[in-house]
Amino acid sequence: MTTAVEIDDLSFAYPGADRPALERVSLMVPAGESVALLGASGAGKTTLLALLDGRLLAWRGRASVLGAPIDPDHPPSRDRRADSGFIFQEFALVERSTVLRNVLNGRLGRMPPLRAVLGAPTPSDLEVARAALDDCGISDLADRRVDSLSGGQRQRVAIARCLAQEPRLILADEPVSNLDPARAAEILTLLTGVAGARGATVLFSSHQPDLARRFAQRIVGMRGGRIVFDVPVAELNEDATADLYRDGVSVSDVGLRAVT
Amino acid sequence: MRSRRFGGIAAGTLVAGAVLWSFATSDLEVSRMMSAGPRVAEFLGRMFPPDPTVMDEIVKGSAETLRIAILGSLGAVILSVPLGILASETMVSPVLYRPVRTLLAFIRAVPLILVAMLMVGAVGLGPLPGIIAIAFHATGMLAKFYAEAIDGVARRPVAALESAGAGPLARLRHAIWPQMAPVVARDTIFRFELNLRESLILGIVGAGGIGFYIQTYVRSFQYDKAASVTLAVIVMVVAIEAINVALRRRFA
Ligand SMILES: Nc1ncnc2c1ncn2[C@@H]1O[C@H](COP(=O)(O)OP(=O)(O)O)[C@@H](O)[C@H]1O
Ligand SMILES: [Mg+2]
Repeated sequence: MTTAVEIDDLSFAYPGADRPALERVSLMVPAGESVALLGASGAGKTTLLALLDGRLLAWRGRASVLGAPIDPDHPPSRDRRADSGFIFQEFALVERSTVLRNVLNGRLGRMPPLRAVLGAPTPSDLEVARAALDDCGISDLADRRVDSLSGGQRQRVAIARCLAQEPRLILADEPVSNLDPARAAEILTLLTGVAGARGATVLFSSHQPDLARRFAQRIVGMRGGRIVFDVPVAELNEDATADLYRDGVSVSDVGLRAVT
Repeated sequence: MRSRRFGGIAAGTLVAGAVLWSFATSDLEVSRMMSAGPRVAEFLGRMFPPDPTVMDEIVKGSAETLRIAILGSLGAVILSVPLGILASETMVSPVLYRPVRTLLAFIRAVPLILVAMLMVGAVGLGPLPGIIAIAFHATGMLAKFYAEAIDGVARRPVAALESAGAGPLARLRHAIWPQMAPVVARDTIFRFELNLRESLILGIVGAGGIGFYIQTYVRSFQYDKAASVTLAVIVMVVAIEAINVALRRRFA
């Protein structure tokens, strides 16, 4: 498999919305690459990532994840959900559980259903979880409750949970926008580093061009539900980037098309 | 302005009318009203000194009250788990949770003592009607609390586990339950405390527990014994209240 994500002419509107959240989006992400979705708030980044994660249905177009098409009418199987990991902006951890318990939650999709309900990890589940904690530098926090941790520590736990899933694709929705700049760079260094070491593809969204430029090999600019450019970092154009954040879709639509 | 003044006059007339109607139709003789004060005083006098020889009955009655509260609460928990799920906005569709919520509101509206009387009629004297009455009455509140605990759970961690490949039961166990557990524990203890307090008087209608002795002694004119049992009930209510305050501090 050489393609992690392949999307062709994909459109989606939330039920009852007057305009589509994604409009005729096409995108190809080769396996092993680190790609940033860049765009202002409301551009459609979260929607695109959630759709690739199999959490949105009733879209039009074609999409494949990790070499297999995803079905717009049915949620994906447990195996397929486990194959792609998701990191949420708001961490989405179980606050009252320990760090280790949260990381083991990442193993649930890899366990037989009954064992998953009982939450009884095998030695190999524990080994994977411990390795993930170690990679994220939080082995010493294993027995702490999540509600006693800082934001940066929480996002490390969320990354460790995702790694415990042993995903081949990591989708990260604004993984650092709740963190201060120093912490943000630290966490993205960690995320792209551990993913690279495991040969996993990373598709992360951000509204900060400097972070996208530093941590991605390719940058996909989104605006108003459309992809307006898709370039290697070296070719990122200042004007095109600035255009992502300008108000008024109709006027700039023309200019943006020219950029792509 | 005018309509507001009219509203005031109408309300005043209504209240005055209600008071007059109550006086006129209650057959209150002035002489009887005048003598009510001294009679109550004399009655209270006959309660003193409380007779301490009823300690055995107090212990026996209290133990039965405690058993009624424990088993009634257990029944309420068993009924409230499924009903709480069925009354939850996030677990079932409005077609289901709306009628279930209406049913719970109806149950809450029926006074416990009325349920107890009906149950005594249905199953006879003793602790059983008390247990059934407590279980029924408490479910109206407890199932509503459980539904609110379910609906108060943060959804993002649940979505995260779904994304990781966890099935619905695994999500319930590892993302929903850890968030709900402290709320459920607190609500259940709170309801148990109410059950204990309310079951103290159930015996008055024959539904078992310490209240039975108050009723028995009053009917047989043994007011000094009734006084001892009443004092015991008051002591227990205060004790329950103190324990409740301590527990609340722990959960805060
Ligand atoms: N749950 C939803 N229901 C309806 N509209 C939504 C929902 N979530 C997002 N939208 C709309 O879809 C568009 C894209 O949103 P989103 O994907 O969250 O953008 P981004 O992540 O880039 O900020 C926005 O116009 C937003 O208002
Ligand atoms: Mg977003």
